Amino acid sequence: MSVVEFEAAGKKYLVRTDLKYTKTDEWAKKEDNKVREGITDYAQKELKDIVGVELPEVGAEVKKGEAIGALESVKATADLYATVSGKVVEVNERLLEEPELLNKDPYGEGWIVVIEMSDPKEYDELLTPEAYIEKCKKGEH
Amino acid sequence: MSVEHKLLRTVLWDFQVKELNATMGEFGGWEVPMMYTGIMKEHMIVRTDCGIYDVSHMGRARITGPDAVPLFQKVFTKDISKTKEYWMSGPTLALNEYARVKDDEMPYKITDEEWLIVPNAPYREKMLKHFAKVAKENGFKVKIEDLTFKLGMIAVQGPKTVEVFEKIGAGWVDDLRTLQFRMNEEIAGQKVFLISRSGWTGEDGFEIWAEPKAMVEIYRALLKAGAKPVGIICRDTIRIEMGFVLGGHEYGEDPKEFPPANSIRYGLGAIDWNKHGFIGEDALRAYRREGVRWIRVGIRMRKRHARAIIRQGYKLYVEDQCVGWVTSGTYSPYLKTTVGQAYVDSRYAIFGDYIEVEIRGKRYEGRILDFPLVPGRPIVK
Repeated sequence: MSVVEFEAAGKKYLVRTDLKYTKTDEWAKKEDNKVREGITDYAQKELKDIVGVELPEVGAEVKKGEAIGALESVKATADLYATVSGKVVEVNERLLEEPELLNKDPYGEGWIVVIEMSDPKEYDELLTPEAYIEKCKKGEH
Repeated sequence: MSVEHKLLRTVLWDFQVKELNATMGEFGGWEVPMMYTGIMKEHMIVRTDCGIYDVSHMGRARITGPDAVPLFQKVFTKDISKTKEYWMSGPTLALNEYARVKDDEMPYKITDEEWLIVPNAPYREKMLKHFAKVAKENGFKVKIEDLTFKLGMIAVQGPKTVEVFEKIGAGWVDDLRTLQFRMNEEIAGQKVFLISRSGWTGEDGFEIWAEPKAMVEIYRALLKAGAKPVGIICRDTIRIEMGFVLGGHEYGEDPKEFPPANSIRYGLGAIDWNKHGFIGEDALRAYRREGVRWIRVGIRMRKRHARAIIRQGYKLYVEDQCVGWVTSGTYSPYLKTTVGQAYVDSRYAIFGDYIEVEIRGKRYEGRILDFPLVPGRPIVK
């Protein structure tokens, strides 16, 4: 795994080169026919202190781009969107007690959900790290 | 993000951005330091240690003239004539004709003919115009001078605040009683325009007004003595715990959106029923006679719903009845659960009883409580 640092609007953010991304600031990691997802370093820094998480139910069928959960920061509520379509097979229940993991380790212990893909092509369509960095630099949401 | 250049910058902007590396953001038309190291951490600094808020975005104005007292008596719901020299009056309300709140403020009395006033940042221009208009309509002789861009203002807050001042050779600040102030003193070798024992946190603390250069030097000396910078976001979380109100959340001028001042239960002697002749009085007394539909209460979520964050506009239920709405909410790192403020139908506003909040279609249980939600506060010295 390698990590690159980039700067947007004067602030520094980390992006992992072995992951794919969405315009809504989720990351996705392919694990066989499954995808593990979480939020990016950029997202956690924009949200600041995350104090609550709403997770989808294990077994739920979700569609790519659909809101499947919510992140509560002190300032605002942000939706979590499915990076791919499929079935939720695992959720990170640790986040219910320790939502600060999303701030401390967004690409590691702060993972949120694992989805078993119904259409593996969807993963390939996600943003590359380079495209995601471009998006952040433009300040798009 | 491209609108930032249109925001007003406080006199401490350079210091905040270049020296303290603050995360800046917008509040009330100003670019203010939102956060430094982490909101929850900063919140706990204010409750357990000593934090410095830069509150230079708040309005600061001097009102002088033979009719300063009649002007304030007309504008505010409190009897200002009882305020002593070099004391703050305690908080009070400026109403409109519908008994809705224009702003909550605290006049500082130097003499009968010289006062200072601190309007909330979003309402500074509106309130200064309001004072001028009321003065003109009533033929009051006063002069209004906006000091906002001449002076900086910080609030040093927390249980260890006096210790910090002792370390910089200003232990004399402990002689001030809550809401008392002094002018033209010296702190850390710098001239201070005003220092008051006040804040907006429920903790012990002081607010200092000084010219920008002196303000930065005092700020640096306080940091060196162990105080830590804290941002405006944790000013919001702190005031929610205390039950302090914020414009646009708990009060506002639109009668369709906000209940009258009676409903706020402001307390602290903000409304004096023995006083007559202030703006909004007729409507306020009419609501008093009729009784109020809504009552402002505190909400503390049950431990099992500690992370169910309640937000402005969320609806409140008892059984199948929608009985109110949330005005402010946040996670309290001090109480380790979600807390908030709400308006509840007076027939259902039973302190100690449980109530449900609807969050994205699901119901979560909390308790209706009186303020402050944090025990043992305000700490009065």
